[in-house]
Amino acid sequence: MSTFHLRISTPDGLAFEGEVERLRARMIDGDVSLLAHHTDYVSAVGAGEAAVVLPDGQTRYAACIGGMLAMIQNEANLIATTFEWADEIDLDRAKRAKEKAEARIAAAKNDDRELMLAKAKLQRALIRIGVKH
Amino acid sequence: MAGASMKDIKLRIKSVESTMQITKAMELVASSKLRKAKERQERSRPYFIGLKETLVDIESSTKDFSSPYQKQRDIKKRCLIMIAGDRGLAGGYNSNIIKAVIEKMQGDIPTCILPIGKRAVDFCNRKGIEIVTSEFIEAGSISIPDCFAISNLVTQGYLSGQFDEVSIIYTQFVSMLTQTPRAESLLPLKAESNSERKESHSLVLYEPSPEEVYDAIVPGYIAGMIYGAMCESVASEQGARRTAMDAASKNAAEMIEDLSLRYNRARQGAITQEITEIVAGAEH
Repeated sequence: MSTFHLRISTPDGLAFEGEVERLRARMIDGDVSLLAHHTDYVSAVGAGEAAVVLPDGQTRYAACIGGMLAMIQNEANLIATTFEWADEIDLDRAKRAKEKAEARIAAAKNDDRELMLAKAKLQRALIRIGVKH
Repeated sequence: MAGASMKDIKLRIKSVESTMQITKAMELVASSKLRKAKERQERSRPYFIGLKETLVDIESSTKDFSSPYQKQRDIKKRCLIMIAGDRGLAGGYNSNIIKAVIEKMQGDIPTCILPIGKRAVDFCNRKGIEIVTSEFIEAGSISIPDCFAISNLVTQGYLSGQFDEVSIIYTQFVSMLTQTPRAESLLPLKAESNSERKESHSLVLYEPSPEEVYDAIVPGYIAGMIYGAMCESVASEQGARRTAMDAASKNAAEMIEDLSLRYNRARQGAITQEITEIVAGAEH
């Protein structure tokens, strides 16, 4: 199968660069899967799991939250706010974050801003836990 | 008399020596922190540039483009993000940034400040300026998620009409010896026409729509701007501290030299006096 060049950059630096067969990620309007020679495409990344299929058929999973994805002239550029490969995720930390966020949601009944922040934290923790499993 | 002053001088030398040790250590720490801040900024650059290019592309390739982030409104209230240091002993770093903020605040428009760094919080409290949040007190420990939190705070405040203009005041790291305070406007975003690239990107498929993509990535872009300014400021603070500590170490070395000379003179004086006394005693 033909491949395309993918570059994943985050504020922490380059997370991945190389040829891939397929990239699947969650955009703000749902999952998309890109194959080589996709039409020029730009969208904003939502929050969810990303999967990268390497030329040797191996699939790597990652938690991918926020940012944007651009495919211009068969060059894909994933600019993610958070991008963590499954093997880099600290499960214990994610679980702790989940418990903490749940406690915060329970405590912040009337505070809309606090509730929103806590919900976002919970979502991030859940995505990390989901990717790890 | 000579003996007492010899002892005094010796004590002074010792105390200056230990001061010099501290300033030298601080200089080394500042150098390494500075390098780290620069590296962090370097790493985040591709992320930030990528977002910026996309924003410019969307603006220039979409007809009748409009975004709430771009609309010019009457400025009823301003928000300043002020980045200062956590500690002193950094030359003019903190006072320069405070001067820049005071200058920016001139005029009748009410202003609120989002301070980052202990010195910035102190400044706002002292002057009685409205503070948006004092969650981000320690400038040295601001991480990328913190920058996203700040960005969400200001973009939401901007969209809800809490303030109509957002600027950031930080210190630009020009070189090891020069750091200049700078004010940059964040919101509303300025329309940047980039007609050269218009052609090649006009057929890009934006999903769900150019406007939605644009609005979704603006907070990330603002966070990138804040993070970049943050790293510049931290680098500047450490640079200023390094220079200040370098000067202090040099002064200490000079003082030690001066004191050693005085000590030797006092010692010589004491010996001469003793010999004179012995000789005077022997003659009789």
